[in-house]
Amino acid sequence: MRRRDFLHTSGLVMSGLAFGGLPGPAAAAATPGRGGTLIWGHSETTQNLDIHQTGTASTLRLLQNVHDTIVTVDRSFKVLPNVAESFDSSPDLLTYTFHLRPGVTFHTGAPVTSADVVYSFERVRDPRTGAVNFDVFREVASIEAPDAMTVIVRMKQPFAPFLARLAELGAGAVLPKDSGDVQGKMPVGCGPFKFVSREFGNKVELTAFDAYWQGRPYLDGVLSHEVTEETVRLTGLQTGQFHLINDIPMDRVAKVKQDPKLQVLSWFPLNWDFLNFNHDRKPFDDPRVRQALDMMVDKEALMQGALWGQGVVTGSPSFPTSASFDPAIKPRAQDFTAAAALLREAGFAPGQLQFTFKVTTNYPYHVQAAQIMQAWFEQGGVKATTQQLTWADWLSQCWVHRDFEVTMMNFFTLWEADFLYYTLWNSTGAFNYRNIRDSAIDDMTGKARRSADPAERAAIYKQVQQRIQDQTHDVILWFRNGSVGAQQNVGGLDRLVHPNGSNLMFRNVWLKA
Amino acid sequence: MTYLARRLGLFGVTLLLITLVTFLITNVLPGDVATMILGTRSNPETLAGLREKLGLNQPLIVQYGHWIGHALSGDLGVSLVFRTPIAVLLGQKIAASAMLVVMSLVMALLFAVPLGVWGAVHRDRWQDSVGSSIALAGISLPDFFWGIVLILFVARGLGWLPASGYASPLDSPRLALSYAALPSVTLALSLMAHLTRMTRSAMLEVLGQDFIRVCRAKGLAEGTVILRHALRNAISPVLTVAGLQLGYLFGSIIVVESLFNFTGMGWLTYQALLNRDMPLVQASVLVIAALVMLTNLAIDVVYTLLDPRVRLT
Repeated sequence: MRRRDFLHTSGLVMSGLAFGGLPGPAAAAATPGRGGTLIWGHSETTQNLDIHQTGTASTLRLLQNVHDTIVTVDRSFKVLPNVAESFDSSPDLLTYTFHLRPGVTFHTGAPVTSADVVYSFERVRDPRTGAVNFDVFREVASIEAPDAMTVIVRMKQPFAPFLARLAELGAGAVLPKDSGDVQGKMPVGCGPFKFVSREFGNKVELTAFDAYWQGRPYLDGVLSHEVTEETVRLTGLQTGQFHLINDIPMDRVAKVKQDPKLQVLSWFPLNWDFLNFNHDRKPFDDPRVRQALDMMVDKEALMQGALWGQGVVTGSPSFPTSASFDPAIKPRAQDFTAAAALLREAGFAPGQLQFTFKVTTNYPYHVQAAQIMQAWFEQGGVKATTQQLTWADWLSQCWVHRDFEVTMMNFFTLWEADFLYYTLWNSTGAFNYRNIRDSAIDDMTGKARRSADPAERAAIYKQVQQRIQDQTHDVILWFRNGSVGAQQNVGGLDRLVHPNGSNLMFRNVWLKA
Repeated sequence: MTYLARRLGLFGVTLLLITLVTFLITNVLPGDVATMILGTRSNPETLAGLREKLGLNQPLIVQYGHWIGHALSGDLGVSLVFRTPIAVLLGQKIAASAMLVVMSLVMALLFAVPLGVWGAVHRDRWQDSVGSSIALAGISLPDFFWGIVLILFVARGLGWLPASGYASPLDSPRLALSYAALPSVTLALSLMAHLTRMTRSAMLEVLGQDFIRVCRAKGLAEGTVILRHALRNAISPVLTVAGLQLGYLFGSIIVVESLFNFTGMGWLTYQALLNRDMPLVQASVLVIAALVMLTNLAIDVVYTLLDPRVRLT
């Protein structure tokens, strides 16, 4: 019996117990069937299919099924063996040794060896690759392969998040040696599905990989139709054109849940959003001004208005199931009197503060949120002008050239705490587009990445969050829900979503006969 | 022959100029392809690395020279964002757009010719006003306006047809038609307007001629006079205009396909522009421009065959 089949049999026993051993629809739904091609209405167009170079959630969502990573994580973000059957790190965090699992093969039929892992890691490390996870290997001194099944990574200095970051596809995916040039159009890896073809902008075809090391997937294949217009996607599900769609329109989730023909999986979080101030622009260098604007926003009402309730307001941007998440940090309540007092203290009488609020039309709910906030700012005696930018313009103006006063953005899957807090809030952080320079945060985030003690790191990150809140460096708004709608004959939905909250794992899904 | 050679020579020059202008305009836009590829996962180091790899840090003239050199030797290069050979991308998309253009052309002719004939026959009466008003509305308002109206009323309001998307006729002819319906109607509307007016005036001209009076005098039924004799003489200029408008249709698809997310050539061009994917922008504009010019040339040539009085010199 294969390991995977065993797991499912034991899972069945457990569900049988839970339902008192009575046969019923729930028990039938839990019986995995084999075969069939799942037709998926995908919300976005996939772009560059090179797993190292792609930063878009849409492409990662698809490639999750084609690639496999050297290590992985569970829902509590514990690092687990994967393509590496075991791994160990030296106590000083300077040496990591990976022992590869025998019998793992690529879609080409070739076995996975240490040379492939070295190639994959070196490719991410090479700045000319343009790898989005380049920073994961920044502290790496050397990557060696003493024998065919062992990889040793030596660090220049400790980088505590290293292992956990390797669970990310863009950093830890194992690619066949020298396959870099073809990955962009014909991705090849050692994951559960083989990439067959893509008709650009329309569809992608995946087929089950018979020799997948965790056992062949239940499905024969996945056919992804790229349908960007959300109402058309939903109609496709309702009329039976698709087995499954991701991203149900936020204003329709409640209604779709009542449809007896369909099942809805909602989870949180898909991503999180925050309001940004440019700390290099006056008067946003003044924490009193930032706090005053924070106090004009009713976060719950804003979430209801912009997300139709499909989210949860938070003061902590840490992934909710991670150790550094701090529910004690509460968003500031709306208080126009206190806000006015703070503004007066900072030298602004009502009507004196004016600014431009740049938002991108790439996220329509950002535009709605900005318009709602604009009304509150108006009420607080502040004149905000909303400027809507295309994605290219937003990236160029706000992200690269940092030319903005106030804006907002969201992030997917920055679940590793160092990746989240160092890159976004350290003054040298790669994603610090708000020009935040806070030596207290610099010290704390620097210290945390050198610490080998997870409890100590979590405690430090909680202090960092408190500091962000106290100084109102940004205003953390909410976690937004993810949603998947499916026909009743799709089984295994509960194990579809990757712990990172964004990627979909079709090897856990089956079609009932 | 010298005429053809001269026209083809001019083609080359025009296309070259078009690529140069496209290149310059696109480079004025803020942001570059490296920013778009890396999105909110970029940092100054990776941006610089990727720009170097893609050759974006070279002077514009060098970048252009490099591109045109390859293009002249028939190599359109690889899309920077999609990492797929551009020839492959264009191959996948041209068929979709061709289907759209042919559908709208046929649709436009099917409606325009009867409407124009009807207007001409009932000249200056209410039937004529109805036809003229429809034509005027079609000409006066841009494609995307009609597109939005159709999305609002037919797709959202009545729910008869999908508001956006594309399906290949090879997979499902029914689905393919339902996706192509609204964009092709949108494209057909303004074309139909032009053709209605053209048919009406050509018909009026023919109906005023002596041989029509002869036909009526010898007792032919009015329907036979109109359809067999008048329309047959009037149709040739209408077809010419339809041919000329084909080029115009290839230009309109950028807006209409993007509006309906109909993933053809026009949609691809728009995506390439949004992504600042220069080689793909250049290649798609080049192909669209070449199609427009080729149809125009073909019309000129066909015209000489239809009408011996016209000579190309």
